[in-house]
Amino acid sequence: MSAIVVEGVSKKFRLHTDRAHSLKELITRRDRNAGIDQFYALDDVSLEIPEGSMYALVGHNGSGKSTLLRCIAGIYRPTTGSVKVQGRISTLLELGAGFHPDLTGRENVYMNATILGMSKKQIDGVFDDIVEFAGIGDFIDSPVKIYSSGMYVRLGFSVAIHVDPEILIIDEVIAVGDEEFQRKCFDHLADLRRRGVTIVVVTHGMATVETMCDGAAWLDHGVLQQEGPAADIASAYLRRVNEHERAERHAEAVAAAEAATESGTVLEVAPEAVGEEWFGEDLEILDVWFADGAGEAVSTGTTGEPLTVNISYRAHRSVEDPVFGYMIHTENDTPVAGSNTRLSGIETGKIEGDGVVAIKMDQLQLLPGNYEFTIGINDKFVQHTYDRHYRSHPLAVRRGNLPIGVGFVELDATWDTASRSGQTQVEP
Amino acid sequence: MSTPAQVWSYRTLIVNLAQRELKSRYKRSLLGWMWSLINPAVTLGVYTVVFGVFFGAQAPVAGNGESTVFALWLFCGLVMWNLFSGVINTAISSFSGAGGLLTRTYFPPECPMIAGLITVIIQALLEGGILIFFMAVIGNLSFTMLIILPLFVLMSCFAFGIGLVLGLLNIRYRDVFYLTGIAMQVLFYATPIVYQLSILSPTAQAILRFNPLTSYVGAIRQVAYFLDFPTPGSWMVMISSAAVSLVGGWIIFSRWAPTVIEEL
Repeated sequence: MSAIVVEGVSKKFRLHTDRAHSLKELITRRDRNAGIDQFYALDDVSLEIPEGSMYALVGHNGSGKSTLLRCIAGIYRPTTGSVKVQGRISTLLELGAGFHPDLTGRENVYMNATILGMSKKQIDGVFDDIVEFAGIGDFIDSPVKIYSSGMYVRLGFSVAIHVDPEILIIDEVIAVGDEEFQRKCFDHLADLRRRGVTIVVVTHGMATVETMCDGAAWLDHGVLQQEGPAADIASAYLRRVNEHERAERHAEAVAAAEAATESGTVLEVAPEAVGEEWFGEDLEILDVWFADGAGEAVSTGTTGEPLTVNISYRAHRSVEDPVFGYMIHTENDTPVAGSNTRLSGIETGKIEGDGVVAIKMDQLQLLPGNYEFTIGINDKFVQHTYDRHYRSHPLAVRRGNLPIGVGFVELDATWDTASRSGQTQVEP
Repeated sequence: MSTPAQVWSYRTLIVNLAQRELKSRYKRSLLGWMWSLINPAVTLGVYTVVFGVFFGAQAPVAGNGESTVFALWLFCGLVMWNLFSGVINTAISSFSGAGGLLTRTYFPPECPMIAGLITVIIQALLEGGILIFFMAVIGNLSFTMLIILPLFVLMSCFAFGIGLVLGLLNIRYRDVFYLTGIAMQVLFYATPIVYQLSILSPTAQAILRFNPLTSYVGAIRQVAYFLDFPTPGSWMVMISSAAVSLVGGWIIFSRWAPTVIEEL
């Protein structure tokens, strides 16, 4: 069941929004107005957002994400195409939109919640939760103009998520607020999703997309580039961003080299500068496989037994000190562990051609369960991703002969009971 | 296009918007609510002095057969005029004022307009109450004064329809705001508010009868000053002008408001 169906939606805007504010201008510009620049903020976008899922819209600035959100919210009418929405929508396009500076927090909460479609009785019911979540305290009865920007934003967010929406539409607003509040917001969003609320977010944080969203759509200049599982879209988008950046760096370097050539100086140095400056061609992950202590390829691991994760790669061009990394998630999206060669203080040196890098574990510390491995290769500053396999290598961990505890991992810890009051020695 | 039923489902929002407007209006002012009395009182005072004293204008004999109080005769017309100009000016400012909200969340754009209308009607009721109070003081009172309420309703509809269209146009052409200011001044004197229609030449009288406001002002004087009923002719003018204006204004507004909002 789809909560939102967007069908062939296009949205045309005039570039000249400042036009004809006086009659004279209107008359004199009439004929020239006919062909005035129009542009498509959205061009034939179709997608379906399943009920109860968290869905992300990604893309660079000006790609039409916010316009699409507004079309879904009913604020904009599509020029062509249709948007069908099943359920009550709460929008969070700008935090504290509609707050009146002279009115108190309490008055504004009631105001804002009614704008989002709640009745007085419903607001009474959740009012305390709203104040509690926002952490406003006694300030609730002061005019909001004396609020700090953080308080303002927290109150706005708090209202929007407490209106008990069936569909929640959020435009890049979670990025505000301190770390603690952000975490609280994410927890709450996860909670809402568990209760079956459909959430649509616009975000630039790919980590958010990967860890929290089910599906995603990637827009570029109003055109839908790709739609599908969040992780796939995030990596496709990141790959494009990286390509762009590399292309730009390359262009810059080439331009610099050309400039140098033209001016007749440092002619010999230029090509080398290009090679160093430029992060090289893709370093590609060819395959990832697991092996047991005997080096046999396996698809399952055993707690307490040795396990090796092999990563075979191909360098299409020599790369200086790439960083190999891994991340382990449970099948229920909980991140368990992750690290990389840089964190481990290992320099991988110059890499050329094909090769294999392995993660060796003498004793697999993962407890029985199903896990997903993410393997990635980044540049030496971990700023650019050459290649990444996001949660695409599943590993089922089985119980070995050893007694095991609970949770995800068996810690490498020992008990010390020598110092307890009874002075009785107990074996760990 | 928003239907009245859709707008009705947002009535809580309308009430809240109106409350917000009323609450914030006199925040941080010493006299607060007194201002809504001071304004009309001063206007009334000035006109009474200028026209009643300097020009020596006389009011006709009131419904009780003895009193001729120019100030109260004038006040009848002013209450009606204030309602008219208040509804239109508020409609213009409500729409541009709600713009920020309308681009961030969805609700029928008619809501802030109606909320603005409510605040003006409350002000009109207040002035109407004061009018009746002073009429009672001079002993000029009758049940015909109850007809003030339907007159207010008709006037509100008439002005609201015009206000909806002007509010819409004002977003695209700021001239509307200035033009309205000028038109209001002209219209004020083109309506027999500070003078009697009978002092004009027959031609001028005929022209002024084309102005629906003439009927509204005449009607409120009939019921509140002369303690009589409005003529069938003025009922017809009022009802038809109110209906045409409201329906036409509503249709135009609902049709174009979403497009205009995108330009905000």
